[in-house]
Amino acid sequence: MTAASPAVPAVSAGRGGRRLLDLWACWWVFPPFYTLFGIIFVPLTRVMPPPSPAKPTAQIVLFFHAHALTIQIGFSVLMLAIGAGSVLNGLVAYQMRRMTVDPVFAYTYIATLAVGAIPGCLFCAFSFLAATFRPDRDPHLIALCYDLGLLTFVGSLGCFATQYLIFAIAIFLDRNKIFPTWLAYISIWQVVTELVAIPVFIFTGGPFAWNGAISFWEGTALFGVYIACLIMCVRKAIERQQPGERVPG
Amino acid sequence: MSAQLVSLWMAAVFGVILLAAFLLFPGFFPPMPPDLTAEQVAAFYAQHQAMIWLSMITVNFCAIMLMPFFMVIVYQMKRMATPTQVLAYAYLSATVSGATLIALADLFWLVAAFRPDRDPQVTQLLNDLAWITFTVPVGMIIAQMATLALAIRLDDQPRPVFPRWVAAFNIAVAVAVAPSAFAAVFHTGPLAWNGAVSFWLRVCAYVLYVAVMFFVVRGAVRRQHQEEREQEERTPLTAAAGAEGVAP
Repeated sequence: MTAASPAVPAVSAGRGGRRLLDLWACWWVFPPFYTLFGIIFVPLTRVMPPPSPAKPTAQIVLFFHAHALTIQIGFSVLMLAIGAGSVLNGLVAYQMRRMTVDPVFAYTYIATLAVGAIPGCLFCAFSFLAATFRPDRDPHLIALCYDLGLLTFVGSLGCFATQYLIFAIAIFLDRNKIFPTWLAYISIWQVVTELVAIPVFIFTGGPFAWNGAISFWEGTALFGVYIACLIMCVRKAIERQQPGERVPG
Repeated sequence: MSAQLVSLWMAAVFGVILLAAFLLFPGFFPPMPPDLTAEQVAAFYAQHQAMIWLSMITVNFCAIMLMPFFMVIVYQMKRMATPTQVLAYAYLSATVSGATLIALADLFWLVAAFRPDRDPQVTQLLNDLAWITFTVPVGMIIAQMATLALAIRLDDQPRPVFPRWVAAFNIAVAVAVAPSAFAAVFHTGPLAWNGAVSFWLRVCAYVLYVAVMFFVVRGAVRRQHQEEREQEERTPLTAAAGAEGVAP
C-alpha cells in the first residue's frame, strides 16, 4: 500500500536535499522536556518518589503545607510545557510511519498517549494544585486530592501499557529497522512494569503499595532508562533518514 | 459538499452556540472570584442551578463538535510542502488532549450543580477543579499553535496553504494565553482565574483565534477545491483517482 498511495503532489515535489528541519525541531524538544519533567516531578512536586499512601490525614495536610510553593511552581510550569509531550508523540509516530508496518500502530501510538496525558499526568497536577490552593480546606478533602493525584499518576496503567505493547510489536514487525530490536525488548519490559503496578489500587503499605519497592521503584528507574534509549534511538533514526524519503501519511 | 466544508459549517454553527452558552453561564460574567467562601460557592450553585444546566449541558454537547474543524487544519497541514508530516501528527495529538480538558472542566461544573445540598466544602472543591481544569492547562493550546506556526513557516511553495501572517498570529495568541498557566496559584489580581490576563485576555484571544482561523481555513479549503476542479477539467480521467489518493 505504501507504494500505491500517491503522496500529496505539493509535498513530494522538490523536496530532495532539504534538511529535515521539522524533525530536528521536534527532536530538540525531547531532552529539555524530560529534564524538566524530572525536575518537576522529583524535587519540586514530590510526586516521584511518591509519599506513602498510609499517611494519616493530618500528615497529608502537613505534606501539602510543607511543599505548597514547589508544588505550585512545578505544576504551573508543567501546564505550560505539557504540550511538548504531544510534539514527541507526533515525532515517534512519524518514525513509525517509516516502518514497513500498516499505519494502525502509528495512529494507535498517538491515540493512546493523547488519552494517557490526562489521567496519567495532568489529573495529578489538577488535584495537587486544588489541594495547595486552599490549605484551610477540610482535611478529608485534602486527603481526597492526595489520593486522586497519586493514584491517577501511578495507576493509569492501560493507556501506557497499550502504547508500549504496540510500539514493541511495530519494531518487531518492521523490516526497515527504523528502531533496533533491543528497544522493543525494553518497551516490553515497560508493559511488565505497568502490570506490576496493578496492586496500587488495593494496598496502602508494603512492596505493592504505590510507593512500594515493586510497584514504583522498579517502574520509575526503568522509565528513565527507557526514555533515554528512546531519545537516542529517535535521533539515530532521523540521522539515517534521507531528506527526500517518501513517507505515507 | 466535501467533508471539509461540512466541518467548516459545523464549526460556524456550533461555534455560535458555544459562544451563546458561555455568555449564558452565570459563572463567567463576571467570572467567579476564587476568594469566595465555601458557603458563597454553594449558594451560587443553588441559586443558578437552571442556568448552569442550560449553559454547561450545551457546552457538554457542542464543544467537541468543533473537532472536525481542527481535523481540517490537520489535513491542511498535511498538504503543506514541509520536509515531513511530523507537525500534523503533533498537532493532532495536542488537539485530542486539549479537547479532553474542556470536556472534563464542563463535567466538574455539572457535578457541582448536581446536588445543591451537598457539603459546601465539597462543592467548593468541585468548583476549584472546574476552574483549574478550564484555565491552567494551556500547554496543549500552545503546542497546537507552535506546531501550526512552524509548519506554515516551513511550507516551501510559491502559494503556501496558509498565508505567512497566520504563523505570527498563532504565536501571538499562544503568548496571550500562556500566563494563565499560573492561575492555580493566585487568588486575586490579573493572573487569578477571574483576572484580566487569565480570564479576559485568554478567553477573548481564543474566541478571536477561532474566528480568524475559520476564515483562514475556509480560504485554504476553497482554493484546494478550486485547484482540484481545474485539474479535473484538464485531465478528466486521472483526476478522480488523484482526488481519492490525496489522503492516504
